[in-house]
Amino acid sequence: MNRKRALISDTFKVKKRRYGTQKFGAVSDGDGPTDIRATLEYLMTLFPRRLFNDTLPQIVLKHQLYSIHNDKTLVDKELNKLRERGELLMFQLGFDADTFGLVFASDYKAKVLAGEEGRATRATVEKFLQKLPSPCTDLSFTKDKMLREFLFTDSEITQLVKSGVLTVRDAGSWWLSIPNSGKFTKYFIQGRKAVLGMVKKSKYSEVLKAELEERRTTSHVKFHMKYHIHDIVGAELVESIPTTSGILLRFVEP
Amino acid sequence: MLGFLTARQAGLDDPLRLRRAESTRRVLSLKLNPDRDVDRIHGNGINTIDIEAIEGRYMLSGGADGVIVVYDLENYSGKLQYTCKAVCTVGRSSKYVHKFSVETVQWYPYDTGMFVSSSFDKTMKVWDTETLKPAEVFQFEGNVYSHHLSPIARKHSLIAVGTKEPKIQLCDLKSGSRIHVLQGHRAEVLSVRWSPRYEHILATASADSKVKVWDVRRASGSLFTLDQHNGDKSKASSEAVNTAHDGRVNGLCFTGDGLYLLTTGTDDRMRLWNSATGENTLVNYGKVCNESRKRLQFTVSRGCSPEFVFVPCGSSVAVYGLHTGELVTMLRGHYNNVDCCEFHPDYQVRHTKAPGGDYSLLPDEFKDEPVEQGCDVAKLTIS
Repeated sequence: MNRKRALISDTFKVKKRRYGTQKFGAVSDGDGPTDIRATLEYLMTLFPRRLFNDTLPQIVLKHQLYSIHNDKTLVDKELNKLRERGELLMFQLGFDADTFGLVFASDYKAKVLAGEEGRATRATVEKFLQKLPSPCTDLSFTKDKMLREFLFTDSEITQLVKSGVLTVRDAGSWWLSIPNSGKFTKYFIQGRKAVLGMVKKSKYSEVLKAELEERRTTSHVKFHMKYHIHDIVGAELVESIPTTSGILLRFVEP
Repeated sequence: MLGFLTARQAGLDDPLRLRRAESTRRVLSLKLNPDRDVDRIHGNGINTIDIEAIEGRYMLSGGADGVIVVYDLENYSGKLQYTCKAVCTVGRSSKYVHKFSVETVQWYPYDTGMFVSSSFDKTMKVWDTETLKPAEVFQFEGNVYSHHLSPIARKHSLIAVGTKEPKIQLCDLKSGSRIHVLQGHRAEVLSVRWSPRYEHILATASADSKVKVWDVRRASGSLFTLDQHNGDKSKASSEAVNTAHDGRVNGLCFTGDGLYLLTTGTDDRMRLWNSATGENTLVNYGKVCNESRKRLQFTVSRGCSPEFVFVPCGSSVAVYGLHTGELVTMLRGHYNNVDCCEFHPDYQVRHTKAPGGDYSLLPDEFKDEPVEQGCDVAKLTIS
């Protein structure tokens, strides 16, 4: 007798059949296989390249993915797989211990080398990028690792810090970083504060997502509105509530 | 569900499978119960509750005013509307009552003749339930945040006590001695928990962001310290090495089988650890709001097929899937902040307490069948 053994948890999963292609207000993600790479690429398109004159690679924050996919653990696992394959690099952006920025490895190398054109530190930076282990899962480097494994001298390390590829973490260790990303951090924090303020000032501290996207942004918000919305939803600074008129964003008191 | 019942009848399925399916169904449909209520004795908040493990009939609660109450949860009236009565109280008029708020209460694991309570008046009292007089009083130098008796211990009868001091004291019930001390933490110890699997393994959580696991038979220090980055030193700043959380760790809970340990911290995160190796399983629960300065009492379901974690979160209780990390639902019903919650394995009833002296029992509702029959289904197949 062939009896398929099902998990008890499967019995309690609700599988709603959707008839027709009519989309009502509440649009939710289907339960198909999650494609993290496609989501990453979509989020990268929201990053404003011309704002930084194309000097920065496209940066996406890790928690922006949580706003699109429900299962955070799965997103984390997929990201680790991509990092182990050497396609993705993760950075500590510095303003929050939990916030990580993601950049495609090829993008990063291209932009860093382009930025170093004609500078004295170019050779050292090239050497560093070559020495970086191809599946690079480290976010920071200690002094003896730099000296022993990568065979850099002290003056070369100083040059790397000057060029922006390394940022000081504490005495004797450095974070891997993106050169010229200070402007990005500044605009990002400004924009996040402005968008959160817009949600908070609304009546009942809540606003429909579609309406927020339509609103005129002040000069403080330099990024695409959708980029900021994914950020505040993923970081759980606003609650995302599905309603019949669409998704409602409600401010969460910290 | 009918599929499970038929399979059990025909003998195709193990009896345990039906029991688990029914438990899971009940947990997934948990709602505030409008019919059952609990007597309001506490004037101020309730800090801690404990349901005895033998029959699941009596519940202890300790309040912020130092009052301890014992309730009878059984409903013998035959009516659906029922208020659980308080059987006895150690009220403010008692000579032996605690002077300040009671932080932890726990029944003696083997019978309800004895219970232990610890409080901010720097004492821990072992009470005789019959006479409501303390049989033993242990004095400490700092506020007692938490204590725990091992639920499975046969060879020892130690109570682990976490106080404002960084060392953990082990008090022996049999001899009254308290010379056994576990050193290793650097700040106050907010929560202690014995493993439900091995009677000598103890986990402790402290305000210095570390969680240590001890074997009390060892003379040297802890077995290991939980590290949220699993040894990957590059992930965090160098001060955060070997820490379980980025803030104070104030909640500890083992799963029913003792294989996993859950910790919550003031960095608004909850982490699931493999209790044998100390490895962070990296299940991402998202933001678990945590503002408690003291111990946070949360609980894990027992006997369901995907296990659930119930965490008090503001004025509601958040229910997460244990291994997936997804938020299943939020249980609302309290008017004030929820301080603690406890899971009753036979009825899948969740009792939550709040500072307003408000109790809530949340079994799911049996509209079509009387309550007795429904409960029998869960107790039916204990092989």
